[in-house]
Amino acid sequence: MIEFDRLTKTWPDGTRALSDISLAVPRGQFCVVLGPSGAGKSTLLRAVNGLMRPTTGRVAIDGIDLTPATERELRRRVAMIHQHFNLTARMSVAGNVLAGLLPVVSTGRALLGWFTPAHRARACALLAGVGLDPRHLRRRAGELSGGQQQRVGIARAFMLDPEVVLADEPVASLDPKISRDILGLIRDAARERNATVLCSLHQVDLAREFGDRIVGMRDGRVVFDGTPDQFTDERVERLYAGAHWEDEADEPAPAGRLAPAGQPIAA
Amino acid sequence: MTMTMTKPIPVPAPGTQLDWKLEHPYTARHLLLVIALLALLLFTGHRTDMDRMVAMTVQAVGKVVGLADDSQVVRGLSRVGEAMWPPIIGEQEEVARLPALDRDDLPPFTYVEVQERREQRLNTDTFEMEEEVERVEYLVKPVGYLWTVFVKMVETVEIALWGTLLSVLLSVPLAWFAARNYSPGRLTYTLARGTISLLRSAPELIVALFLVLAYGFGPIAGVLALGLHAAGFLGKFYAEDIENADRKPQEALEAIGAGKLKTLWYGVMPQVLPQYIAYTLYILDRNVRMATVIGLVGAGGIGQELKGRFDMFQYGHVATILIAIFIVVFVLDQFSARLRARLI
Repeated sequence: MIEFDRLTKTWPDGTRALSDISLAVPRGQFCVVLGPSGAGKSTLLRAVNGLMRPTTGRVAIDGIDLTPATERELRRRVAMIHQHFNLTARMSVAGNVLAGLLPVVSTGRALLGWFTPAHRARACALLAGVGLDPRHLRRRAGELSGGQQQRVGIARAFMLDPEVVLADEPVASLDPKISRDILGLIRDAARERNATVLCSLHQVDLAREFGDRIVGMRDGRVVFDGTPDQFTDERVERLYAGAHWEDEADEPAPAGRLAPAGQPIAA
Repeated sequence: MTMTMTKPIPVPAPGTQLDWKLEHPYTARHLLLVIALLALLLFTGHRTDMDRMVAMTVQAVGKVVGLADDSQVVRGLSRVGEAMWPPIIGEQEEVARLPALDRDDLPPFTYVEVQERREQRLNTDTFEMEEEVERVEYLVKPVGYLWTVFVKMVETVEIALWGTLLSVLLSVPLAWFAARNYSPGRLTYTLARGTISLLRSAPELIVALFLVLAYGFGPIAGVLALGLHAAGFLGKFYAEDIENADRKPQEALEAIGAGKLKTLWYGVMPQVLPQYIAYTLYILDRNVRMATVIGLVGAGGIGQELKGRFDMFQYGHVATILIAIFIVVFVLDQFSARLRARLI
C-alpha cells in the first residue's frame, strides 16, 4: 500500500510540479499514471523512493513514512524500472542483474563481484523469466537492443522481491509490439509476488489495456482517478485538451508576419 | 488524438525587411589586440634570444649546403658526434686488480688477453730514450658495458613500474574524495583537491632532489618522486571522470539504496575503466621517460650512470646509454599503444 498525503513539490525556480496530491494505491494494484509531458508523473513516482523530496506532504509505504531515517530500509522494498533502462552499458548483463542485489550484499563480496551460488542462480532464473538466455549473460548490456535492455532492467528490479515497483515510462523508447511484451512482463512478475506497480505512461491504449486503475495527471494535479472502463474517450479528450507543446510560445506571433502554410522559405 | 494538432512554422513573407542583421565579425578592438599580442611576442622573443636562434640555424643550414664557411652550431654538434662515436660496448680490467679471479673458471663471455704497453722512458745510465715494453694481462668483457647498461635500464623500468603502482594506489582514494558527487563533505573535497594541486605542482626532478637528501642515493627517492607527482595527475583525472560519468546507472542503484561505494563500483567504474587504463598507461610511459632523467640527481636508474659518464667526459659510454634509452622508450610506446588498443 502506497499512500500520498497532500504531496506538493515546488522546484527552486518556483515551478509547481505537484500540487496537493492525495492518493492511496492498495497492495497488488497495477496503477497507471497517465498524462501529457510535464504533468508531474515522474516527479510523483520519484517521491516514492526518495529520489525527489517533496516540499510539503508525506509518502508512506505500508504505513511507514518515507524520511531520511527510513529511506534506506524502504528503498530496498521499492524497485524501479527506468525509461532509459539505466543499465551500466559496459558491464555484463549478469553484472547488471546482480547489481539489483547490492543493498543486501556485503561490501567485500560486492567489490569482488563474488556473489553466492543462490544469488547467481536467482539472476539466471529471472533472466530466463524475462525471455533472455545464457548467451546474453556475458554480453555487455549496451550491446543489446532496447527491448532486451529493458528486459534486463526488469530482471534487475525483481532481484530483491520488491513490494512496490515504480515503472517510469518503461516503454517510452520502445516500439508498440515490444511495449506490450514489456508491460506484460512487468504485470505478470508483479502479480506473482503481489507487488504494487505504479507505472507512468503516455499511451492511452496501453494504459487501458494494462492498468487496474488509471490516474490522470495534468499540471501537477490528479484530474482523473478510476478504472479503465470509466476512462472514456471524452475523458481522454479532456485530459489532453489544449496540452502545451514544448516549443510553443505563450503569446502567438503577430499574424501578419506569418507566411501561409506550405510556402517555401527561399523565394 | 488532439496531441497531433499541427501549427505552421512562422516564416517571414518574401520581401520582408528585417530591422536586424548579423554584423561583420571584426572590430578595431580585435586589430588592437592582435597588435598588442604581436608586440608581446616580439619582446619576449628578443629576451629569449629567438632572433639569434634563427640566425645561427640559418648559418648552420648554410654551412651544411656549402654556402657559409663557418657555423658554431655545426662545429659544436660535430665535436660531440666525434666524441660519442663509436658507442662503447665492451669493458676491460687489469687482471692484477682482480685478486678473486679464477683463471680456470672465467666469468661467461670473457677472456684474458695480454696487451703490450710501450712506453718511452729515459735510461738514467745512458741518458737515452728507450722503448720499454710492458706486458699487462687484461680481463676483456666484449659486451661488458652493454650488460651494465642493460642492468641499469631494467632498474629504470622497475622504478617506473613501482612509481606507477604507487601513484595508482594513492590516487584511487584521492579521486574518491576529490569527486564532488562522492566526497563525504565540502571539507574533504577541498582537502583532496588541494592535495592533488600540491602534488601536481611539484616537478619530479625537484621532488627527487629533496627525496635524495631524505632517503639517500638510489631508487627509493626515484620511486617516491615519480609516484607522488603521478598520483596528483591521476587523482585529478580519475576524479573528473567520476564526476562526468553517465548519471543514469548511478541513479538506478541509488534508487534501491545500494550505498555510495557499491554505486561507484557498479555504476561508475565500468564506464570509466577504459579511460583509467589509458591514463595509467600514459603515466607508465611518462614515468619510464622521467625515470631515465631523475637519475641525474642521484635517484637511481640509468640517469645516475649517464651523469657519471658525462661528468668523466666518457662520451662513448654516453652514446651507448642514449641509444639504450631511445630503444626502451620506443619499445614501451609501441607496447602501450597495442595494450590500449586491445583493452578499449
